[in-house]
Amino acid sequence: MSLLTPEIAALEGTQRVYTAPEPFGGAAGRYFGLAVGDHNPLYSDPEYARAQGLDGVTAPLTLVCETNQYADLPMDPEGYAGHTWQLDVPGTRQVRGGNSYTFHRRLRPSDVVTATWAIDQVTSKTNRSGHEMLVIASSATYTNQDGDLLAENAETIIFVALEPAVAAGEKA
Amino acid sequence: MSTWTESYPTEFADHAAITVGDQVPPLERTIGLTDMVAYAGATWDWHKLHYDAEYVAEKKLPGAIVDGQVYGALLVEMLQDWLGPQSFVSKLDFSFRNLVFAGETLRCTGEVVEVAEGSIRVTMQVVVVDEDGNDGRAAAAPCSAVVLLGTSDGPGAQK
Repeated sequence: MSLLTPEIAALEGTQRVYTAPEPFGGAAGRYFGLAVGDHNPLYSDPEYARAQGLDGVTAPLTLVCETNQYADLPMDPEGYAGHTWQLDVPGTRQVRGGNSYTFHRRLRPSDVVTATWAIDQVTSKTNRSGHEMLVIASSATYTNQDGDLLAENAETIIFVALEPAVAAGEKA
Repeated sequence: MSTWTESYPTEFADHAAITVGDQVPPLERTIGLTDMVAYAGATWDWHKLHYDAEYVAEKKLPGAIVDGQVYGALLVEMLQDWLGPQSFVSKLDFSFRNLVFAGETLRCTGEVVEVAEGSIRVTMQVVVVDEDGNDGRAAAAPCSAVVLLGTSDGPGAQK
């Protein structure tokens, strides 16, 4: 049986919306810079940031795409407390494909961010070793309280069958 | 500037002199478990895969897994450190290749492949540095970015 069941196919168009309960603030960006090891003063020095034409400090660009900070979801037994499609595909292993980010402007501490996720496409293909792959393409938009588009993020999650697909007419 | 930022460079690449084939100064970073805990906190991603030795041992993994999203942060850092604050990464793509584990060192590199009016396109990769200091297995590749030059913010800031 194909991994692309009618139930999985019906996930196309599914949407999740998460809105932060408060403005982003300046500390989150400064903390992210410290955590990554990025010394850029745009994240911590308002005077430096204003000298570059910004209103004040900003956050490292990819931080806006970390949806967990807006999700307000409970922590699961593995410690994860964030956005997931809660897909359980038996007999597969999950692989992350990659990310495609588009940044429209820098985050400001006053931004109240809404992340809107959607499953865009669900497809099935077979890899070179004959294993079926279920490919989930999803995307997110990040907007603020005024509807400003801040960033977009497209990502791919792949479920690879643990056993090779059985060809038509072939005995399992 | 604060103590943290005073080591930040004050001179950057001459945007007008950038040509196809230019190499982006590489960025190397060793990602220790403490860094991973800090990153988990900063991104609100507290999955045990990123710090819990007992949990990853149960999963038969050689160590805690570095969050793949950190590659994106490092690639942006590499580009901004080279091009300075009057630049804006407007597009960033990367594909995951191999897991990276606590204590390993990442090396980000890039090359300019296109120069246009007010922007450049760069292809990049993130590799794990092997014990001889050479490029080891790929963490993320291919990677690419479009960077706007002469502006500290993106087109959405004009609204």
